[in-house]
Amino acid sequence: MSQKTEPTAPGTSEKRRTWDAQSLALVAVFAALIAASALAPGIPVGSFGVPITLQTLAVALTALVLGASRAAAAVGLYLVLGFAGLPIFSGGRAGLQILAGGSAGYIVAFFVGALVLGALAQLVVRRASTRRRTLWFFLAATAVSVVIVHAFGVLGMMVNLKLSWQAAFVADLAYYPGDILKNVVAALAATAVHRAFPDVLVRRVRRA
Amino acid sequence: MSRIELAGVRVTVPVDADSGPREKVVLDGVDAVLAERRVAVVGANGSGKSTLLRLLNGLVEPTSGTVRVDGLDTRRETRAVRQRVGFVFTDPLSQLVMPTGREDVELSLRRRHRDRAARAAAAQEVLDRFGLARLADQSVYELSGGERQLMALAAVLAVEPAVLVLDEPSTLLDLRNRELLRRTLAALPQQVVLSTHDLELALDAERVIVVEAGRIAFDGEPTEAVRFYRDLCGAGSGPL
Amino acid sequence: MRTQRSGGILAGYVAGNSWLHRTPLAWKFLAVLVAGTASFLLLDWRASAAALSAVVAAWLTAGLGLRRLAASSRVVAPLFAVLFAFQWWQQGPATAARIVLNLLLCFVAAGILTATVPLQDLLDSVARLASPFRRFGADPERFALAIAIMVRSIPVLASAFDEVGDAARARGLERSVRARTLPVVLSAVDYARRTGDALAARGLGEADDDTPSA
Repeated sequence: MSQKTEPTAPGTSEKRRTWDAQSLALVAVFAALIAASALAPGIPVGSFGVPITLQTLAVALTALVLGASRAAAAVGLYLVLGFAGLPIFSGGRAGLQILAGGSAGYIVAFFVGALVLGALAQLVVRRASTRRRTLWFFLAATAVSVVIVHAFGVLGMMVNLKLSWQAAFVADLAYYPGDILKNVVAALAATAVHRAFPDVLVRRVRRA
Repeated sequence: MSRIELAGVRVTVPVDADSGPREKVVLDGVDAVLAERRVAVVGANGSGKSTLLRLLNGLVEPTSGTVRVDGLDTRRETRAVRQRVGFVFTDPLSQLVMPTGREDVELSLRRRHRDRAARAAAAQEVLDRFGLARLADQSVYELSGGERQLMALAAVLAVEPAVLVLDEPSTLLDLRNRELLRRTLAALPQQVVLSTHDLELALDAERVIVVEAGRIAFDGEPTEAVRFYRDLCGAGSGPL
Repeated sequence: MRTQRSGGILAGYVAGNSWLHRTPLAWKFLAVLVAGTASFLLLDWRASAAALSAVVAAWLTAGLGLRRLAASSRVVAPLFAVLFAFQWWQQGPATAARIVLNLLLCFVAAGILTATVPLQDLLDSVARLASPFRRFGADPERFALAIAIMVRSIPVLASAFDEVGDAARARGLERSVRARTLPVVLSAVDYARRTGDALAARGLGEADDDTPSA
């Protein structure tokens, strides 16, 4: 109700579209949501110490709720502050050192994945019927986790931990069941958010 | 005294349901000129009074009709309107952006004072004026509800708006803090428009507007307006 | 969404004029970076314990107080306890101690930064990093504001996760990822919208040049 429509005066159409205060707040709060979910205790799976947390769920959710550019900004903000030293990476870690560990690939994948999944979410909102939205959200999230998140994750372990691709693939395999579950929850939650707050993404996409 | 004019204001929100009406009417046929020092708006939850207040500084734009503050259109001249009209929300925690009151007041002053030292001095002056200097460096989470509300008020008044709009400022406060808020408001030089469920606070005003189901149901002298509102609620004719 | 507890280590500026308060931000930032490296470099729990003692000593000599240290650690204590127990089981007591001590080291070091630098200064510095990108559309002012809101929101959302966890337990839903996530997300969106409204009402957060009439 309180969502302000963008001022579209003649002559400003060529101007870079800037976010309004609502978007700024959404980006910042979702960055905080990713941080808060990463601070919940991780469940280390596999032998190479990469913990499963609610974090991947929060990242997928951010993309499905905010759409491409704002989701990328939220993940970017989270990463920059984590690199700068706020203890907000999984397990309370902080700093650029995170890039030296086994999770480096996944960290990079968060950003790329959010961008791609966000774009897909906008497509789903525009094209799919409201009833099918959850299913399409789930399929998009799963495609992105297989093609982007797991691929980057395997690559990261190969580079940093000097694993063979077979070993890295097996280590990464342990995350699939958890990821499927998390993508189901992310799709359901995103649908619920869009029903409760249509002005966050739905109206924005339809207006464009 | 600023002159706030609402002319033929209608506000609707789109409804995304697959069937049924495409939009919901929140406010309709609102015409009013507010130029009194103290105006209170009362009405049931969902009556549209919060939307009415949000119109005043451009947080909500009329779907049709116009809202002007001293001749400035809230839709086209939003920035100028917001410099003139300060807004205080029910929950100060969603309003206070920074972790401490001092930093929040300084945030308000960012546009006004580019120089850090000048900004700090101006913030100190504001905090002293409201007797908040003692609490300024505490986490806003450690303040009591009333202290938080005063801090939020100070952060808004730091930029000296001509009009202050408050959306149910006393709803989350206990009796003592409510009295503190009442005294603080009474002492303000600003023009004040507030919405409230607290009829005592409404009776402090010079003019009371009763909003019911998206329309102005009564507009006038406080004791009469409050009597009207009591009858309205007692008769059970409200939508909720 | 509301929390009575203090903002924890993320929102803990303590006014003062100690040697640590006077130390330039860049040095303190460097110290945090070094502490971050420690969790990858210190491989013996005794070395970690020594480093942690040094950081705690710095905390105390800066007059930040033992009570505040305990209060800010309270937020992470349950997490570290679980981690410690788990790592003991997995890798034995020495490794478990090392991991947890290294984490505490990072936390206290990061805590010193936030306790002795007003958040505004911290933000101004990070936002300055965005200045070179201004011509590509970066706006340091709004970047700083986004950082401020994010940092402020972390304890709010962390306590929302706690509360929702309790509520899920009370209904016997503690194993439901959905019951433990969805209410947090919905309230987060609501919180973001209220924050966005509050920013807009104060004339903050809108870009400087997008209102034609300004």
